[in-house]
Amino acid sequence: MWEFMVRSLDASTIFTIAALSELLGQRSGILNVGVEGVMLFGATIGFMVAQTTGSYLLGFLAAMAIGGLIGLIHGFFSITLGSDQVVNGMGIWILGFGLTTYIGYPYTGPLGMERIPDILGLSPFFFVGLALIIIAWFVLTKTSLGLRIRSVGENPSVAEVSGINVARTRYLSVTTSGMLMGFAGAIYSLDYNPVWSNDFLMGWGFIALALVFFSMWHPFILLGGSILFGTLWQLSLNPQLVLPDVLSRYIWRTVPFAITIGVLVLMSTKWFSSRWGAAKPEALGLPYEEKG
Amino acid sequence: MLPESIKHGDTVLEARGITKRFPGVLANDQIDFEIKAGEIHAILGENGAGKTTLMNILFGLHQPDEGELYLYGKKVNFKSPLDAIGLGIGMVHQNRKLIPAHTVIENIILGHPRAGAILNLKRAGREITELCDKYGFKIDLKAKVWQLSEGEKQVVEILKALYRGAKILILDEPTSALAPPEIKRLLDSIRIMTVDELAIVPFITHKLPIVFEISERVTVLRRGRVSARLATTETTQKGLAREMVGRDVIFRMEQMTVEKGKSILHAENLVAFNDKGVLALKDVSFSVQEGEIFGIAGVSGNGQQVLAEVLAGLRKPQGGKVILDGADITHSSTLDFWMKGIGYIPSERIDVGSIGEFSLAENFTMNYYFDDRFSRGGIVDYKEIRRLTEQMISEYDVAAPGPDTTAKSLSGGNLQKLILARVLSRKPRLLIANLPTQGLDIGATEFVQKKIMEAKKEKAGILLISEDLDEVLSLSDRVAPMYEGEFMGIIPGGEARRELVGAMMAGLKPKVEQL
Repeated sequence: MWEFMVRSLDASTIFTIAALSELLGQRSGILNVGVEGVMLFGATIGFMVAQTTGSYLLGFLAAMAIGGLIGLIHGFFSITLGSDQVVNGMGIWILGFGLTTYIGYPYTGPLGMERIPDILGLSPFFFVGLALIIIAWFVLTKTSLGLRIRSVGENPSVAEVSGINVARTRYLSVTTSGMLMGFAGAIYSLDYNPVWSNDFLMGWGFIALALVFFSMWHPFILLGGSILFGTLWQLSLNPQLVLPDVLSRYIWRTVPFAITIGVLVLMSTKWFSSRWGAAKPEALGLPYEEKG
Repeated sequence: MLPESIKHGDTVLEARGITKRFPGVLANDQIDFEIKAGEIHAILGENGAGKTTLMNILFGLHQPDEGELYLYGKKVNFKSPLDAIGLGIGMVHQNRKLIPAHTVIENIILGHPRAGAILNLKRAGREITELCDKYGFKIDLKAKVWQLSEGEKQVVEILKALYRGAKILILDEPTSALAPPEIKRLLDSIRIMTVDELAIVPFITHKLPIVFEISERVTVLRRGRVSARLATTETTQKGLAREMVGRDVIFRMEQMTVEKGKSILHAENLVAFNDKGVLALKDVSFSVQEGEIFGIAGVSGNGQQVLAEVLAGLRKPQGGKVILDGADITHSSTLDFWMKGIGYIPSERIDVGSIGEFSLAENFTMNYYFDDRFSRGGIVDYKEIRRLTEQMISEYDVAAPGPDTTAKSLSGGNLQKLILARVLSRKPRLLIANLPTQGLDIGATEFVQKKIMEAKKEKAGILLISEDLDEVLSLSDRVAPMYEGEFMGIIPGGEARRELVGAMMAGLKPKVEQL
C-alpha cells in the first residue's frame, strides 16, 4: 500500500509540474493544447542527452532548453503572428509525436543509468513540484510580475494602457511554461519510468491540460487535482491493489481519461462558466494586437 | 516636466488648431481648446461631432494630423497614452478599462512604477485610502471589480488616475451610467479636486443639465469644429442644444398626407431590460395607425434599440403588452411576429440583418423560408427565391451582379436596399425601421426614405427610429423624443420644432402649454 502511494505521488509530480506550466501560460492568456507534444520532446531529448553524456543534469537542461524553444515558437505564432492557438497547439502535439518517434527510435530500451536517489522513498522531484507550486502561487499573487501576467491574461488592452508590454509578458510566460513542460517530460523518461519506447507518454500531457481547467487556474487546487489524478492513474494501472477482480484492468485504464473528458465537458457548459467563469483568464486563447 | 507648483488659473493644457482626418472623414477641424488649473471645462457634442477623436488625441491614443498640444506652456507630443499618463493626464473611460477578475487595489496599482517587485499592498492601500478620504470616495479596496456597481467602477478609474498623479482628468460621459445620488457624490468629489487645482475635462453627449451643474466653461463641437465657446452662466440648455445640433439644411422629404386608417399597433406599458440586465425601457405606451410614420428621436442608448427588439419579437418584455391588429402577441414567437405582418429593419445590418457569407438569394430566404409559396414541406424552392431576388435587385436598384453574389461584397447602402427589399416585399402591416439610414450616403439615404414613404402610402404603419433629428422631423407624422427609456412626450409632426425635440431628447420635459 505504501508503495502504491509513493508511486502515485511520483505520478502526481509529473502531472503537477506539467499542469503548472500550462497554468502559467494560460494565466498570461496563451493556451497551449500541445502540452503532450512539448513533454514528448523534453522526455526524448532529455533521455538521449542523458544516455549519451551519462549526466542527468545535462539531460534535464537539454529537456528544458527544447521545451523553452518550443514555447518560444508557440509564442511567436500566437503572440506575434496572432494565429489560432488551438491549431498551433495541435501542431505541436502532432510534431512532437512524429518527430520524437523518429529521432528516439534508436534509443529504444532502458536508460541504463543509476537511478536518481530518492528522499524518504519519494522521488526528489516531488519536493521540486511542491516548491514550484508555492513559488508560482507567490509570484502570481504577491508580485508585480504576477499581477502583470494575470493582467495580460485577463484584459491585454487594459494592461497596455497601464504601461505593460503585453507581448513581452506573454513571451516570458509561454517560454517559461515550455521549459517546465520539457522538464516534466524529462522527469517521466529519466526518473519515473526510465525506458524509451514509442509514444510512451500516452496522454499524460492531455490530462495535465484538463487539470488546469479543473484547478480553476489556482496552483493549490491544481496540486490537489494532480494528486487525485496521479492516484487514479496508478489505480488504473494496478486496480488489483485496491479493488481486486472488479472489472477488467483495461476498463480501469480508461478511467482517468473518462474523468478528463467529463471535466472538460463540464467546464465548457454555460452552467459552469456562469458560476465559476470568473476564474478563467478572460483573454485566454485570444490574440492581441498592440495599439501603441 | 511637471512644474513644481500650479497656481489657480494657470493654463495647464492647450490644444491649438487640432485637425485629424480619417479616411473619408474630417473628424477634427482646427479645434482650439484650453483648460486652466482648478477649472471644469466641459466638451459637448453629438455623436460624430468629433468628441471621441479629440479626447483620444488629448490622451495620446491618436496623434493629430495638424495642430499642437501644449502642457504647462511647453509643446508635447504624445506617442501613446503612457506619455500622457506620465505627464499627469488621467482618463476615466466610459467603457471601463478595468480587469473585473482583479481586486480594486490590484487594478489601481497595475503598471504603477512604485508597485514594487513584491507588491506592497499595505503601503498602496494606505495611500489610496488617503486619496479616498480626501475626495470623499468610499470603496472596498479588497473587493473584486466585477462585484462593483458602475458608479463604483468609475470611482476605481478615477482613483487609478489620481494615484498615478493625474493633474488633468478627462472624464468620458461621467454621469451616463450613474444613478442620481451617485451623480451628486461624483460632483462633490470633483469640486474638491478643483480646490486642489486639478483640471477637469468632462466630455458630454446629451446630458445637458449636467453641463450646468458641473462646469464653468463649455466648448461645443459640431461636425468636427468648435461651434461655440461659452461660460455656462451666459447660456441656457436650449442655447446649448441649438449650438450642438446646428441649423443645417434640412433634408426634407416631400411630406404627404395619407388618410389614417385604423390603429395597427398598440404598445402598452412596455418594460424591458437590455443585455446587461439594466432597465432600459420604462413604461412606454403608444400606438401606430395605418398610413402613419411614428418617429422616435433620441441619442443612442436611451432604450430605442430595446424597444425595437421588443416590438420585433426578438426580446421579451418584463411587463406590458404588444397588440397587433387587436391580438395580444406579446408572448408569441418571433416567427409569429413575422407571419402576422411585422417587418423589421435592424440597425445592425451586418450582424443581424444579413449573413455575409451567404448569397443574396439565401439572405432573401431568411424572410421567406416559412412562406408556402417558396417552401413546400420544408424544402425551399430556391428557383423561385432566386427569381424573386433578381426581381428585387432590379426593383430596388441594388448594385450587385446577381442573386448569387455574397452579401458581404455589397456596400452598406446596397446591403440596406437589399434588406429593405426583403422586408418590404412581404408587404408588412407594421414596418420597424431602426436607424434605417445610419452611415449611408446621400443617395442611398434618399432611396431608403422614399421607400419608407411608399410603404406609408400603401397603408403600412411605420415605426421610424432615428438618431438623425432631420430625418425624424421630415418624415414623421408624430414624434416621440426618447430619453433614458421613456418618451418625453408625443408631439404631432407639424408642431415638432427642432429646438423643442432636441431639448426633449436631452431629458427636458416641456411644460404642457409648450405643447
